[in-house]
Amino acid sequence: MVLLNINDLHVRFDTNDGVVHAVNGVDLTLEPGETLGIVGESGSGKSQLAFAVMGLLAANGRAEGSARFDGTEILNAKPRVLNKVRAEKIAMVFQDPMTSLNPYMRVADQMAEVLVLHKGMSKRDAVTESVRMLDAVKIPDAKGRVRLYPHEFSGGMRQRVMIAMALLCRPQLLIADEPTTALDVTVQAQIMQLLADLQTEFGMAMILITHDLGVVAGSCERVAVMYGGRIREQAPVAPLFADPAHPYTQGLLAAIPRIDETEAELRAIPGAPPNMTHPPASCAYAPRCPYRLAECETERPPLEGFAPDRKRACFAALDDIRAHRHRVSITADEAATAGPLEDEPDDALPDAAVAGVGAAAATHEVKQ
Amino acid sequence: MFGYILRRLAVAVPTLLLLIVFSFLLMHAAPGGPFTGERSLPPQVLANLEAKYGLDQPLIVQLWNYLKGVVLQFDFGPSFVYPDRTVNGLIADGFPVTLTYGLLSFVLAALVGITLGVAAAIRHNSWLDYLAVGTSIGAQVLPNFVMAPILVLVLTLWLGWLPGGGWSFNDPSYWIMPVIALGTSYMASIARITRSSMLEVLGSNHIRTARAKGMPERRVILRHALKPALLPVISYLGPVFVSMITGSVVIDIYFSTGGIGRSFVDSALNRDYAVMMGITILVGALTVLFNLIVDILYAWIDPKIRY
Repeated sequence: MVLLNINDLHVRFDTNDGVVHAVNGVDLTLEPGETLGIVGESGSGKSQLAFAVMGLLAANGRAEGSARFDGTEILNAKPRVLNKVRAEKIAMVFQDPMTSLNPYMRVADQMAEVLVLHKGMSKRDAVTESVRMLDAVKIPDAKGRVRLYPHEFSGGMRQRVMIAMALLCRPQLLIADEPTTALDVTVQAQIMQLLADLQTEFGMAMILITHDLGVVAGSCERVAVMYGGRIREQAPVAPLFADPAHPYTQGLLAAIPRIDETEAELRAIPGAPPNMTHPPASCAYAPRCPYRLAECETERPPLEGFAPDRKRACFAALDDIRAHRHRVSITADEAATAGPLEDEPDDALPDAAVAGVGAAAATHEVKQ
Repeated sequence: MFGYILRRLAVAVPTLLLLIVFSFLLMHAAPGGPFTGERSLPPQVLANLEAKYGLDQPLIVQLWNYLKGVVLQFDFGPSFVYPDRTVNGLIADGFPVTLTYGLLSFVLAALVGITLGVAAAIRHNSWLDYLAVGTSIGAQVLPNFVMAPILVLVLTLWLGWLPGGGWSFNDPSYWIMPVIALGTSYMASIARITRSSMLEVLGSNHIRTARAKGMPERRVILRHALKPALLPVISYLGPVFVSMITGSVVIDIYFSTGGIGRSFVDSALNRDYAVMMGITILVGALTVLFNLIVDILYAWIDPKIRY
């Protein structure tokens, strides 16, 4: 049985600079209880994919394709249909707990309204249930704190409140969009542990959107790596880390700093993400790819299965990629030819943060 | 909170005292006086008049006497220009009129402006949005001294529906044109402020959360977006309320309503010191009061503000 079936999903944004193609034909399936990680750098379309499924795209965004939840089409569904699914079947936790809670409402009120609306509970019962859920996410003195406003909580505590609020209706699927990005490292670990515990407890499926491969390794069963609005590699978590089959995945893994290394400099993938206002007709990663072949510049590699449960979108020979598993960086000459796409990195997505771009480009400069 | 209100009221006393002293001195610093006319009076008559109103005394004594009258007896003194009128009487006659059309105009401008602004923001970039923005720009560039004669022309001279001027507390048909002429441009500003602040709030993260919770759009707007969207509107409404209920010289002149707006301007032109001071103090006290009310409303809406 498939819980969520995403088929040929496209997301586009109309902006003053033209149409931004944020997501370009994504297929994904999710089984009940499964944990899927979606990884990619800023602007890869991973968050917009989730927003499209939840019907939360910005006003200038359009989604096309299909997303069926439990057999029901929810992509571009009517508000009535969508509002039955949101919170009740699919809940979402956002990146920034500082601003994602309503600052003008008491936590009790914003949590209770979910249960009053979806479960028809009385306000009093809804608040009692909310306190129980705040206990479940390990907020100390939940009974007293439920009367507080969001600004009276710390960042980590606010994310716990967000999670508690998302789980109120016991959804079958939780989409966590970079749930730990805005938190400091010790709190990150606590929140990830909490999510894992709650997932087991409630038996729900989870889509974890992140750019942190460490988070993926610790909590996901299956991973989809996105680049330029497309899935480039999809595999169970163990083989993805042990045997990356796409040059981009390999580059991401090589960029993880290692504690046993003495090198002073952080490694980055040279070049910048593609400009999604004019997505290339060829492989979007080709300009940054050390395995680039002639056909990479003219054609787009399809996402194809090459082993059980494993898919990749790349023309380069698998053996070639495997042979260079420890090759961490391309040479300066190759990096220099990776230049042309760096000009307009800020156009990658309309309002998504493109913070990662500058950092990658800066490191690139240093290396040259 | 009550402590805060008491403190604010305590600060209001020196504020108003300063206001009185400064306007008193400024007024007397201006050349001319209540008895300088085109035809100069015989020196003896002038001296007698000045002695009667105490203008022959040193300025500081005049100020002291005035303050004594205002603070101890709440007496703003006699008009210098109309010998049979007191300032208290002038305000008592004119202020109810101004208050009536000002209050009605304010309520109308706020209700229509906020509704229009919210509607335009919800239907952003639709015909409704363009209509609302177009209407408010039109209403804002049309000053009330243009609006008033147009209203009289259409509603009185052409259609004959409404009386062209005058005032009656018993007949609301006298109220309609002053209310519309005064409120239109305020309504337009309120609509524009509401629209842009609503648009900003609708794009914020906590509204996305409310939608992700499956809230119907109505509830998202009314329960989650309206309160924060109204914050900038409220800080605009405070001073607007004061300036609306203290009247408008344009309205008083075009519609002969007899409000204090006209008295205020006349008093400045005639150097009618007492009337000018009386109305200045009234407007000043109301401004202090409504700034306090705005601050209290702010704390009520935004839990992060604590006094």
